[in-house]
Amino acid sequence: MKILLGKVLINYPYFAAVILFAIGSATVLTRSNLFKKLIGINIMESAIFLMFIAAGSRRDGVVPILHMDDSLRPYINPLPSALMLTGIVVSVSVTAFALALIVRLYRFYGTTDAKRMSDIRNGVAKE
Amino acid sequence: MKDFVLRRVVALLLPFIQMFGIYVIMHGHTSPGGAFAGGMVVGLGVIGFSTVFGIEQGKTKMPEHVTTITESYGTLWYILMGLVGIFKGLPFLANKLAVDVGVPGELTSGGLIGLIGVGVGIRVASTMVTLFFTMMEEEA
Amino acid sequence: MTAVIKTHLPVFVVAAPLFVSFLLSPMARRFGWVQSLVVGVQGLGLLLAVYLAGMILKSSGVPIIYSMGGWPAPWGIELWTGSLGAFFLLVVAGVTLPISLYAVNNLSDEVGDATRSTRFFVLYLLLAGVLAGMALTNDLFNIFVLVEVATISCCGLVSARRGPNAAKAAFNYLILATLGSGLILGGIGLVYMITGNLNMGFAGIALNGVWQDYPHVVWMAMSFFLVGFGVKAALFPLHVWLPDAHSTAPTPASAILSGLAVKGYIICLVKILFGVFEVHLLDVFRLDQILVLLGMLAILAGSILALAQGELKRRLAFSTVAQVGYIVLGFGLMNIKGVAGTLFYLASHAVIKSTLFLAAGALISATGKTHVKDFAGVGRKMPITMGVFSIASLGLVGIPLFSGFVGKWYLLLGSLEVGNLTAAGVIGIGSVLCAIYLFPIIRTAYFEPAPEDDWQDPGVPQRLALVMLGIAVIGLGVLPGPLLQLAQKAAADLLIIP
Repeated sequence: MKILLGKVLINYPYFAAVILFAIGSATVLTRSNLFKKLIGINIMESAIFLMFIAAGSRRDGVVPILHMDDSLRPYINPLPSALMLTGIVVSVSVTAFALALIVRLYRFYGTTDAKRMSDIRNGVAKE
Repeated sequence: MKDFVLRRVVALLLPFIQMFGIYVIMHGHTSPGGAFAGGMVVGLGVIGFSTVFGIEQGKTKMPEHVTTITESYGTLWYILMGLVGIFKGLPFLANKLAVDVGVPGELTSGGLIGLIGVGVGIRVASTMVTLFFTMMEEEA
Repeated sequence: MTAVIKTHLPVFVVAAPLFVSFLLSPMARRFGWVQSLVVGVQGLGLLLAVYLAGMILKSSGVPIIYSMGGWPAPWGIELWTGSLGAFFLLVVAGVTLPISLYAVNNLSDEVGDATRSTRFFVLYLLLAGVLAGMALTNDLFNIFVLVEVATISCCGLVSARRGPNAAKAAFNYLILATLGSGLILGGIGLVYMITGNLNMGFAGIALNGVWQDYPHVVWMAMSFFLVGFGVKAALFPLHVWLPDAHSTAPTPASAILSGLAVKGYIICLVKILFGVFEVHLLDVFRLDQILVLLGMLAILAGSILALAQGELKRRLAFSTVAQVGYIVLGFGLMNIKGVAGTLFYLASHAVIKSTLFLAAGALISATGKTHVKDFAGVGRKMPITMGVFSIASLGLVGIPLFSGFVGKWYLLLGSLEVGNLTAAGVIGIGSVLCAIYLFPIIRTAYFEPAPEDDWQDPGVPQRLALVMLGIAVIGLGVLPGPLLQLAQKAAADLLIIP
């Protein structure tokens, strides 16, 4: 038990990432409001960014810029951070595109709820 | 929005916001930040201007035909910079210009990277502005 | 000049469509130029791809490695034109050219005015360039970026048609595909954590040394990749987004989505599974059996679901789910015959399914009807369209002398070689089901009396595109020679058999 707790405490960013990922994907799959689905997607992507950045970081690491710190302390791995910047750009563009689609759907159906939309399409409910 | 304080504050801050954005774009290779972050700042400056002074006023500053061109050609600039390497007989995107590359802290030390950043920054800024305008239009 | 082009060929193949796509959007007022630029760059792409494939064939599979920016492999990003890359590049270039020809002067009904059509072409070329990039890339993170750009442009293509149905289909596609890319990124992160490399070759070497220390991480990374790419490639239980997206998209978009985009994700999955984890690890973790099982499920379920569809485009879309099953099953067989057969089947399905979608689009726009039973007598009124549709159907069923047959034959041989009689049986049943859901359409079109309406074949560029694709379907079946050779080389490379 003690060993397990120690492992959790040392690797806490990964556990946080797993929890966030679960929250995000559950939101995407169970909520019928399109905005909530989109927020779930964003939470899920943040979880993966967290996991990546945690993989590159280290305790007492310094910023990996040459002239800022001349002491020979170990620096963090800059590659995951750089990659995640790209990942954030990608997630921003996905979010923007999804928002534009939601606006289009809202103008037609007058709702952002997926269930109501399919009801309207099948003629069950009135607009 | 007709609020006097808001209009004055935005008018005062806007040049500094834009300058800071351009600074971040230009110094992407020597300090944290970069073309994406800087382009966001520049674009958000325009978006802040349009929320306070009205969309119509904002559109006179960044008309649609201008954003179409900057968006497309900002990305083309990236490929053109990549072709510089080929014209010098080196691989695509090779970072060889006539300047000294690799002096830490100097603005020219990035070689082509600084130039590429300018294109990316322009593109990001105009994309943010276009996105904002399209979303606001769709609402109306 | 030629020497310069020759050394930088891999870059040009990927960068040319992207370059033109970014050139297009300010040119919307001169729509004629836009169209000729699109078709021109696709033609150039086909020439370059044929040349590249010829080079690979002549050197018997020695890869052309291109380091971007002059940085060698573990530090820089490379473009790796092996036999698999050249093969898929050829397929992409060969299928995108007729599809773009079909789109010429034909988008106003489905997409809209010149500005909207230009945007459509921008996304189309972006997708073509990204698919070429998927063929050549050798870097895990590049795969993520390419997959993501492809997803966004696919969703854009789906939503290009006006109206709420397209927007709803595109939104569902976007959400599920983003879920998939999240998983893919997670898998890449896990591989990077235990190997410290993003280059696939180096990551594979490092993984070979350390996988015994992290069996759970390897397991997790594999399943992340399988589910992530499975969502994007519409592998059977994860296919729910595909029928809506592919049937509501504009015709050329349906063709490229069903014909090529789905395959791009499969090629990426195969590159990661066989390039990073390698055959040995797949064997240890029993992934080959999982792939075969998933493939068989997809063939049966996709075919039966296709039978139940009344709308022509939806039926074709469900048929894609079944054909993805064939392709995945073939990779699970893990012998030269099976993998080469599945690669060849991938190519012929790319050609056949785009033909079917283009012909179906021509039928629907000429008659204004969508149900399979409504096309009575079309065969005599639109001889070229229906003729090409019939040729492609025969090809998909796998009649000898048509291109689907060669792939299916090798798949059968491969599954018999590993002694998997169930797989062989499922392949046969799939063909029969395919005939059951496609042949009634042909029968109605030729043997039932036609109404008096004046239906006509589409315009000249569309006819040219259809005829080109029809010739390709027969040509690949009669003379599979060079393409099959390339597929066999690619299979040998994937399985690491000298």
